[in-house]
Amino acid sequence: MNELTIAMPKGRIFDEAYEMLLEAGFNLPEEVEMSRKLMLEIPEEKIRFILAKPMDVPVYVEHGVADIGIAGKDVLLEQQREVHELLDLKISTCYIASAGLPNTTMNEIAPRIATKYPNIAMKYYKGIGEQVEIIELNGSIELAPMISLADRIVDIVSTGRTLKENGLVEYEFITDVSSRLIANPVSYRMKSDRIIDLVKRLKKCVK
Amino acid sequence: MSSIKMFEKPLGMRDTFPQIFEKVETVRNTGRDFLCRRGYEFIKTPAVEYFDTVGKASAIADAHLFKLVDSQGNTLVLRPDMTTPIARVVTSKLLKEMIPVRLAYFASVFRAQEAEGGRPAEFDQMGIELIGDNSVFADAEVIVTAMEILKHFGLVNFKMTIGHAGILNCILQDYTESVEQQNILRALLVSRNYVGFEEAVESFDLPKTKSDALLQFIEEAMHVKEIQDIEKYVRKNDALEYMQQLAKLLEIADLADYVAFDFTLSSHMSYYTGMLFEVFATGSGFPLGNGGRYDGLLEVFGSKVGATGFSIRVDRLLETLDGQSVERQEATVVLFEEEQFEEAIVKVKTLRAAGKQATLQLRSSLVEEEAFLAHFTEVVIVGQGDVDGE
Repeated sequence: MNELTIAMPKGRIFDEAYEMLLEAGFNLPEEVEMSRKLMLEIPEEKIRFILAKPMDVPVYVEHGVADIGIAGKDVLLEQQREVHELLDLKISTCYIASAGLPNTTMNEIAPRIATKYPNIAMKYYKGIGEQVEIIELNGSIELAPMISLADRIVDIVSTGRTLKENGLVEYEFITDVSSRLIANPVSYRMKSDRIIDLVKRLKKCVK
Repeated sequence: MSSIKMFEKPLGMRDTFPQIFEKVETVRNTGRDFLCRRGYEFIKTPAVEYFDTVGKASAIADAHLFKLVDSQGNTLVLRPDMTTPIARVVTSKLLKEMIPVRLAYFASVFRAQEAEGGRPAEFDQMGIELIGDNSVFADAEVIVTAMEILKHFGLVNFKMTIGHAGILNCILQDYTESVEQQNILRALLVSRNYVGFEEAVESFDLPKTKSDALLQFIEEAMHVKEIQDIEKYVRKNDALEYMQQLAKLLEIADLADYVAFDFTLSSHMSYYTGMLFEVFATGSGFPLGNGGRYDGLLEVFGSKVGATGFSIRVDRLLETLDGQSVERQEATVVLFEEEQFEEAIVKVKTLRAAGKQATLQLRSSLVEEEAFLAHFTEVVIVGQGDVDGE
């Protein structure tokens, strides 16, 4: 049996995905302490987890240092990497939407959009024929409309609480997001037995 | 844009240093010898072609073409693949001399990169084209050649995935309700987005029998053990019989172990009309090569004969071969002082005549003798006899 390397995003998605793997019958330790670890070996299953920033999971998988990985659809849409998208795990579901201060329209002269997802935002506004300027930020996106940096933000919304707390309202729905199981094209062929088995078992646990 | 640094090269362009150059050369020579023995003749085509002919006929997306303008205002492209120029040259000339034609190439192709600075925009491809033979035996020959050349290079852990554009098209046609839907699904398969495929099928609102059949087909067709298994999805169809025949031929050639059939395989190379394949190997995260039947491309240039071929990316092949040791080449340096030139000339001549690699170097020109000598396996100092290198 080949060793299988799985790239996992740190944080909440890790817990949910790990739970799914347990449920799928993988012989993994019930509790894992992974606060500072970057790698986790499970010799019983010949599985190795790499713990990465969510945005980096598709990078590892595309380059084949991880055979498979779990990545948010938002990241996949933003980066357009050459990976196979095998399964929608339907965990960490949320959506991408535009938001702004209530009752405002976009500035006619210089409409600006602040976002962590410049490619998704650009594609969306191009698609509806709006010419906008995209401002890439790395966090605290909600701040942008409040300080007049941008008219709208494009970001993920899960409960809408963050928007509300910052006095923003949602304008346009852009796309649904959930975590996906992705695979490196070469691993998908060279380790097809293991990957297909994993997909089959996980598929049964998708709710 | 930041200003260009003095040492900078255009995005994706690389220098090949001597050590790598030698490795590439070894691959080239081994490959050339191997293919010549199978009756493939090597050919070279220009690096620059017209956009309106080769540029448009090529399956490489417009955005990836390097474009130039000539002095008459015509748009030119740096060749993005070798198959298209070869299709041009055979239809214009070679097919008039003999059919079928077997050609091979080892050449660099150019594809502009957008993402991540360092990815190569120019890379070597080695491949063959077998033009003018429509039979399944021609396809089998190409597949067998592709696999045997990899084995010849010493590759063990590799797999080939074979599909058929005709079967996939037939399925997509039968179980969808418009060309538009077919194209959407095909594009999703090219990017291997199975989740997207399922979502798209659901969003089309097809009759349940059709959508169920599609989803089931995708699941089964990805890893086909026996080609008969997918028979139930396909109308009585020549392509299916063709693939069964091909499978039999590969079995006879004793290569079945390396082969997996996947009838969802779809390529961004839109000219593939029949069987198509991809090659993967442990050691590189990216596919090693691909190939297939591309009868349609010849038609673009006005010829109706069939064609099939494959190409391997040399950089990725080197990556997978990386573990294999390459012996350090014996190299001798002959150091001399100005007045010993005549003696030195005699010395290198004898060494070279004995088949050794010998460099002649004036000792007083060396900037750092130790660093320089470290590059050689043997050092000869004229007038002092032999001194061992490191």
